[in-house]
Amino acid sequence: MAHITLNQYLQQVLEAIDSRDGAFCAEMLSFKHPHVANPRLQLSSPEEKSMHLHCIFTMCSSFQAHKEENWALPIMFAATLDLRIFANNAEQQLQSKGKGKVGDMLEKAAEQLMSCFRVCASDNRAGIDDSKKWGMLFLINQLFKIYFKINKLHLCKPLIRAIDSSNLKDDYSTAQRVTYKYYVGRKAMFDSDFKQAEEYLAFSFTHCHRSCQRNKRLILIYLLPVKMLLGHMPTHQLLKKYDLMQFADVTKAVSEGNLLLLNEALVKHETFFIRCGIFLILEKLKIITYRNLFKKVYHLLKTHQLPLDAFLVALKMMKVEDVDIDEVQCILANLIYMGHIKGYISHQHQKLVVSKQNPFPPLSSVS
Amino acid sequence: MAANAAQQAPTPNWPYGSNSSGESKVHENPEWEKARQALASISKSQNSTKTSPTNHTTQQTGPYQATDSSAMQQQQQQYYQQWYQQNQQQYAGYPYPYNYYYPMPPYGGPYPPGQYGVPGGYQTPATPTGQAPAMPMMEDQSIRPGYQGYQTPAYQPPQQQGPGQGLYGGPGRVDAKKPNNSNMNKGGQQLWQRMKRDQAPGLASPTATNPSPGSVAATSTTSTGAAQTRPQDWPQAMKEYVQRCFTACESEEDKDRTEKVLKDLLQSRLQDGSAYTIDWTREPLPDLKTKQSRWEAVPQRSQENAIGRGGATRGRLGARLGNYRNVFSQRSPSSSSSHSSRSSSRSPSPHSRHRDRSRHHRSDSGSQSDSSMSSDPRLPLSRRQQKGGRGRGAGRERGRGAAGERGRGRGKANRGRRNMEDLASGIGKKRKGGNAGLDFHDPNREAKKQSRAARFHTKLRTEPLVLNINVFDLPNGTQEGLSWDECPIVGTCQDITKNYLRLTCAPDPATVRPISVLRKSLIAVKTHWKSNQDYLYACEQMKSIRQDLTVQGVRTDFTVEVYETHARIALEKGDHEEFNQCQTQLKALYKDCSSDNVGEFTSYRLIYYIFTKNSGDLTTELVYLTPELRADPCVAHALELRNAWALGNFHRFFKLYQNAPRMAAYLIDKFVERERNLALRAILKTFRPSVPVEYVQSSLAFSDLDSCLAFLTGLGVTFTPSDPSKIDCKVSSASLTTL
Repeated sequence: MAHITLNQYLQQVLEAIDSRDGAFCAEMLSFKHPHVANPRLQLSSPEEKSMHLHCIFTMCSSFQAHKEENWALPIMFAATLDLRIFANNAEQQLQSKGKGKVGDMLEKAAEQLMSCFRVCASDNRAGIDDSKKWGMLFLINQLFKIYFKINKLHLCKPLIRAIDSSNLKDDYSTAQRVTYKYYVGRKAMFDSDFKQAEEYLAFSFTHCHRSCQRNKRLILIYLLPVKMLLGHMPTHQLLKKYDLMQFADVTKAVSEGNLLLLNEALVKHETFFIRCGIFLILEKLKIITYRNLFKKVYHLLKTHQLPLDAFLVALKMMKVEDVDIDEVQCILANLIYMGHIKGYISHQHQKLVVSKQNPFPPLSSVS
Repeated sequence: MAANAAQQAPTPNWPYGSNSSGESKVHENPEWEKARQALASISKSQNSTKTSPTNHTTQQTGPYQATDSSAMQQQQQQYYQQWYQQNQQQYAGYPYPYNYYYPMPPYGGPYPPGQYGVPGGYQTPATPTGQAPAMPMMEDQSIRPGYQGYQTPAYQPPQQQGPGQGLYGGPGRVDAKKPNNSNMNKGGQQLWQRMKRDQAPGLASPTATNPSPGSVAATSTTSTGAAQTRPQDWPQAMKEYVQRCFTACESEEDKDRTEKVLKDLLQSRLQDGSAYTIDWTREPLPDLKTKQSRWEAVPQRSQENAIGRGGATRGRLGARLGNYRNVFSQRSPSSSSSHSSRSSSRSPSPHSRHRDRSRHHRSDSGSQSDSSMSSDPRLPLSRRQQKGGRGRGAGRERGRGAAGERGRGRGKANRGRRNMEDLASGIGKKRKGGNAGLDFHDPNREAKKQSRAARFHTKLRTEPLVLNINVFDLPNGTQEGLSWDECPIVGTCQDITKNYLRLTCAPDPATVRPISVLRKSLIAVKTHWKSNQDYLYACEQMKSIRQDLTVQGVRTDFTVEVYETHARIALEKGDHEEFNQCQTQLKALYKDCSSDNVGEFTSYRLIYYIFTKNSGDLTTELVYLTPELRADPCVAHALELRNAWALGNFHRFFKLYQNAPRMAAYLIDKFVERERNLALRAILKTFRPSVPVEYVQSSLAFSDLDSCLAFLTGLGVTFTPSDPSKIDCKVSSASLTTL
């Protein structure tokens, strides 16, 4: 196959099209197919290369003529996937040269994908079997990838709505659903909707194929912070298995209420966390850490009327800079406001009065 | 080579397409062509219409091919055989015999619109085995006439190898032509030959292009039918002119271009009969620049510009303002300024002169009236047009440099670039200024130039060809759509103040202020702002300064200063629209120009993201924060603020708000209310039974008690009946949550 001539190649493509063999045709047209390695296709001018892409897209648009069928969906998948990868590479090359607007290439690619998506979404024929709507989720996933890359999460909303209202949403292939839920989960996380984020990401994680360790790791990077925020700490083995030891100290610090260690851990792996886009989420773990720290204070003092000074001492022990009693009140106020502590502050007596029953409710019941 | 091939690839003019670079093209493009056809057939096979532009040509060429000498067939066969033997093994495993797909038509015959819907014929020689060998190279070209172009060199006399030879290059025809041109030298004859061949298809309707090989008369009769002339009847002077044109060519590319130009020219001349009346010896040569590719001799450029300065203003102006069929042909004027050196201006080389000449001619044949009518104000416009064709980054870079240099030095900027160059170089002394207007009528002068230039035409290119690809790839070329940076306008307006008017057309240099004036303007606006605090006035003035900078493509430290100033003023007055515009520009500008205020404006950006609660952008911004930036007091403050905000630590947040450096507080003002609201909710929910107003005031950073009370009462907070200095948290909390 590697030495296939262009003519043979084109014949095979034609044959595949004639026999409506979408999957094979898609394989042929993909840039992963060995025909791409044909030296005669290696042109020096990159504009030419895009012509192949252009060819494929002409083809895709010609599928609009195939109103009644959906056999060509795999071809569209292959083409759109290639398009996105190319846009990505183009973007990177432009960036490395310091040229072009950031995300310009990807946005253009997204435009193309959207036009494909519209074709698929507007297929209103009754028959489910040959509906083009089966192509929606794949396209949405490709679009998600672009939108997440260029930080345009707000553009995801209509897409999510389209799937939510679709009666096919549970019948797409597992692979596509895993990808979809991964992105929707991430979006929910950025929107601070941690409950939903957990649900989606957990689905992704459990349904992701066991051979896709890299994908599982990616899912975990977002699932872990969400789970921790909801009070579920990952085990050491899990972190080890997926090579996510960056989280180890964080986990330890949060469960111990060790603010100092948490700060250290966050600083240490700051680059990793920022690159993954979870630094700001992990930062919220500080609130959980405060809670755990104060819970320790409560257990030590064994009383329901806790002097605010005690918390001040605890915070100073954790080397929180220039903290004063007002800030302690502020932190406590937040914890109470969020429901992490049941109780109230008596400003007059400078004391925290906590509930006799379950003053520190389990995290999973909060928020 | 590749670039050239790429450029020509889209032209549907396949019969001519097989030039010297055809070799590579034939390799590369047929695949695309075929793929395209295959694609076309997909959509069309549904309703079984088999029309394709290439179909046409292919079928025409069919008969012609069929009459090819048997020698060619033999040769081809051998060729195939060779390939076949080489490749047989490799393709033996291929499941389908070739015949299965392509029932063999007689050699060269049109392929019947078959089940695959591939328009055009698939020509394969009948090999002894009856099976077409799979030849990686040949097979792909079979559906295009260009295929022939690839074949012909193999059996044609070597001197025939030249552009445009493919289809009509039958040996017999060459011989037949000889008598007509007996007085020409061999090279010229060849070119003349070629020219005539080119003439034919150009004049004939597409369907009539079916020359029987060897019969020149038939060819030219059909082809030039419209003009009722035969090549034999063409005036000798014209033939000589054509020959001259080709002699002038320095490269194969030049010849191709000349062919094209001549084709148009001669056609029109023959048609209106002027071919017999005009003085061909005075006819200027066609412009070789029509299809300037990225190939060009680098040193030539400067020389040419130098020459242009000394002599042919008219030609240059004409060429500039004339009809630009091909944007690639334009040399940007700014390039001339940045590249031309004065030293070279005194020693023009023959080539440059010739080039200049040819450009000159182009304006003549194309748009004389245009050039003569044009006046100065049009200059910038045409200049921009020129720019458009060139690499964006390149134009911009040059434009910037040129604009900067000129803005300071020159007063008469609106004279148009040309003249300014003249002034600058000192050469233009003899004919400066209004020459552009004076010299638009002088046919003799034209002819003199022409003959002068003709002396150099025989000289060939001595410099090696260099691929100028770097021109398109300049550093820090940030492209923003259709950018103003591409037009090197230099303003001449001397007004310190100018009202802002949104541009709806090309800017007029007379209304644009140069940098020297803009500097004064900025100072004036600043002082006015300090004394009057008139934001509307300041904003308008700043906007017009910005506009002038943009129009002139100025991106210097001064630009940064302008945007920083405007951003601060806008921030102070809470004009977030303008502020954001400035911020966006500054972000891009900081990549190119350094400023002491990078930290300040980075911190503003961070704070602005807090305001918009855009955690995604915030994260992205964090990624790009260098340790140095983090150390900047403004950035550090913004980061701390963000931290406090994220954790809901209102105590710390408001403490930082009170100690905000520079103008950050103005920005925080934008969302301080929102944060106070949130904090108050937390406070009311937390404290029991009551909380003193004082605490709220200090925690939420109210400057005085009254403003705090106003804020509280505005939210419907209830105070304890016994002590009005305390808030009844329980009651207030309930009322607040219902808000």
